[in-house]
This record gives sequence, structure tokens and C-alpha cells, in this order.
Amino acid sequence: MTEISARRDLSTLEIPTDAWTKPFWDATAEGRLLLPQCGACHTFRWPPGPFCPACRSQHTQWQPAGQGLIYSFTIIRAKDQPPTVPALIEFPEAGNIRLIAAIVDTSLDAIVIGAKVKQNWAKAGDTNVPVFTI
Amino acid sequence: MNQEPAIVGIGATPYYFRGESLPQTKHELIGKAVIAAADDAGLPITAIDGIAGYASGVIEPGQLTEMLGLPELNFAALIAAQGGGSAGVLDLAALAIQTGRAHTVLCLGACQQSTNRYGVTFANMAATPDNVWASAAGLQGPGQTMALLTRRHMHLYGTRREAFGEIVIASRQAASTRPTAIRRKPLSMDEYLAAPMLSDPLCRLDFCLETDGALAFIVTSAERARDLRQKPVHIAASAHGGARNWGRAFFWLNMPDEDFASTGSAHTARRLYAQAGITPQDIDVALLYDHFSPLVLMQLEDYGFCPRGEGGPFVESGAIRLGGSIPVNPHGGHLSEAYVIGMTHIREAVEQLRGTAINQIPNAKYALVSGGPAPIPLSGAILRSAA
Repeated sequence: MTEISARRDLSTLEIPTDAWTKPFWDATAEGRLLLPQCGACHTFRWPPGPFCPACRSQHTQWQPAGQGLIYSFTIIRAKDQPPTVPALIEFPEAGNIRLIAAIVDTSLDAIVIGAKVKQNWAKAGDTNVPVFTI
Repeated sequence: MNQEPAIVGIGATPYYFRGESLPQTKHELIGKAVIAAADDAGLPITAIDGIAGYASGVIEPGQLTEMLGLPELNFAALIAAQGGGSAGVLDLAALAIQTGRAHTVLCLGACQQSTNRYGVTFANMAATPDNVWASAAGLQGPGQTMALLTRRHMHLYGTRREAFGEIVIASRQAASTRPTAIRRKPLSMDEYLAAPMLSDPLCRLDFCLETDGALAFIVTSAERARDLRQKPVHIAASAHGGARNWGRAFFWLNMPDEDFASTGSAHTARRLYAQAGITPQDIDVALLYDHFSPLVLMQLEDYGFCPRGEGGPFVESGAIRLGGSIPVNPHGGHLSEAYVIGMTHIREAVEQLRGTAINQIPNAKYALVSGGPAPIPLSGAILRSAA
């Protein structure tokens, strides 16, 4: 019997934002996954913050994440609950930034390091939290 | 060399399973450890004129001076940390002694998890713009992020769960002889492999204990130490800090690939060995912060006891057992004795170098103590027995 990774209900999750993370959540609200890149030296950074760690510029531009790959993951097993799978999703087209996000609705057998993932969403308040399937 | 600092007193409360220290308050536990440490050193408690505390779970210096009637402080510093700085209290104390800022420095660490369970710290934290991704992904505590590092290590190097099991089994074996230890029952590999998975690849037995307790250490100059009650234990090297490529570690999870499946400690290790003028081969006993068993394996690599990626076979060869090439945590560590955020490791290092440890390593001269693989500052120390 193959187990399926669960999708947690995030509808009541409050997403606090600041000036530097708000563009991320504004984009996800529209169903777009964008990641921050320095407008001066083009280094990607994570999390979004006020300075480029490579050149200290504050000029930021938001780029499409591109295809994500599983970098690592864990299977959390709580008593009497279906497994949940927080994972690190790496984006080679965005400077190998890694986003921590859940892999949902997916057979545990299919979840391996290096697997390509598909973008999906979980509704959270006024925006969407990125989740992934395979 | 007389400026070299030395540990001359140790004091500890009993170690309690989570919550069983009540109704004592945390400050009461701390006070009892401090009084015991001064007694052990043969110094009046009023001789203490400096404090080097571990900020997590400890007491504000002003409150301590009020509570215990310490007449004055000439040095008062807390090292910021989430596990990483624990051994850094020795570095702060060393600085105070070496510069002459203070003469008798108290190092402190404590935790009382009845009021704050560290295992679900993420869940207890208010969501912030920086950490909301972790809570949205379902991460509740450090163990689950360590599982991400661990799986990566297994993927890159073929490390097996049996290696993590060996770390837990060795710690149980060491704890079996110790009255202070909470988990003393020997463990078999079959039992380990059958334990429930909490955050695959980490099972329940890979997580450290949740306990209450306080420990205190008295540090003074090696010159003054000669006239005191105990055989001094010299601080041969101490360091706190870390590299940007480790950063906030499991709060960041964007460490470069070459650093991800590690403990970030290679930077600390290089500084310590250079300061002490020795190599890993000179270390007789390693007290490695063992909040999660796979991180012991990765520290063995970072501290140079085996090459990167070879921690699994190294551990499985029996190298970390009593009698192995580098005995690790002969007190049972956080996995089996008690978890007091690294402080029990300092105590064991001192007892090993005094020659009074329960599982004594014969003729131990150098002991390595590490702070936790956690956000910067990381920390460590190399202690040396008095000749």
C-alpha cells in the first residue's frame, strides 16, 4: 500500500510580511512564484531582505522561479495522522535558491532527491502558499 | 603561560526529566549550581567578579548578583545562541581572565523545559516574515530540519541509519554506569531500527532527552589555580563565531551545497587546533553536542577525526566507543544522560582531565568540547589537564 503525503489546511495561516517579503506574497496571490535577485550584480538571495549579500545593493528584481527539484525532504509522522513531507525545493534557474515547502498529494515512493516537482498552491488567507507535487 | 585560564570549580544540580525539577524555579536551580561550583573550587561565592553566561535559558547578571549577594561584577556577558554558543561561555571567560578584566569568572548554563519545550520551538515562535515559510511547510522544531541535513548526507555519501544507531547505542552503553543518567538501559541495533520514525530519516531515539538542570563552572588564571583545591583544567583553546556559509543554519537552509550536510564547525575546528597547537590525533576524548545523533557523525568530520563523507563507516567501526580511537561522550551525552544545552559536556571534559570521571579515559590530556550545530555563533574549546 502506497502512502500519500498529506495536504495541511493552511486557510487560517496568517502570513506576516515586511517591505522585502511582500512582493513574494503579492505574486503568489496571483499564482506566480517569483524569487528575489539583485538588480545590480544579479545574485539571487534567500530569504528576501534589504541587501544583496554579494554587493550590498538594495536594488531588487523578482524573477520567475523556473523548474524546481527536490534537494532534501523529511517525512513527518505524527500519531494517527497521515504523513506530511516538508522539503527543500531547489531552483537551478534562480541561482539554486532553496524554498522550504511541502510536497503534497504525492505517493511517498515517488519522493526522491533530484525529482522534478510541479507547482501547486494552498490557500492561506488572502494569498497562496506554494506547495509541490510530482 | 600564567595568563592561561583554568577551570577550577564545577557545580551542578541533579538532572531531572522534563518538569520534574518543579517546584524549584529555574533561578533556584542556577543558584544551587553556582554555590556548588564555588564550594568545589574552595572559593567563597563572593569571590566571583565576572559572569559568562549562555543566553538561552539563563539568568540576567543583575538578577544573579541580587539573588546570591555577589558584591560586584567586573565582567558580565551572555553569549547569544540557539545551541551553538554553549561552549562559548568558556571563550568569554578566557577573554576576561586573559585581559585581567576579572579574576574569578562564573560560566553558566541551564534549562527547564517544563516551561519551554525546545523540540517545538518553531511552533511556539510567533510567525515572522522570515520564518513563515517553515511553519507553512509544516516544520515544528529543529529535529525536522536536521532531518533535511541528514537525508542529504545519506544521499551524498551513502551514510546508513545503522551509523546513527551506533551513536545512540554507544551513548546508552556509556550512560549505563552513570547514576546521573536518565536513560541507562542498554539498546540493541534491532531496537533502534524498530523505533518509530518521527521525522524520517530521524527516529525517536535520534532525538536527545528533554531535561531540566543547571551547571556552573569557575574559571580563573592558571597561576591562581595552582593554590586552589582541585587539579586545574586549562583552557588551551576556545572560540566562538562561524562562517557566513553556515549563517542561521536550520533557520536558513540555503547553505551552499558543500556546507549543507555538515555542522558548520570546520571553521571553529581550524581555529581551535591552531590556538592549541595540536591536531585531532592529539585529542583523547571528544564531548560533542549531541542534540540529534546524525550531527555527532557530521561533527566528527568537521573536527577532523575522519574525512568528509566518511563519518558513517568511521562510527560503525566502533571508533567512538570507550576504548575506540576517539571516545565520544563517555558521560552518555544529551542522548542518554541529560540535556542541559552543552553544559554537561563541559563538566565531563573537566572530570576526564581531573582523572575523576566515571568512565575515565586513561591518562586523558586533551578534551574537545563542542557547542551545538546551530545558528552562528558556533563554539568549541580544547581543555588540557594540568601537567
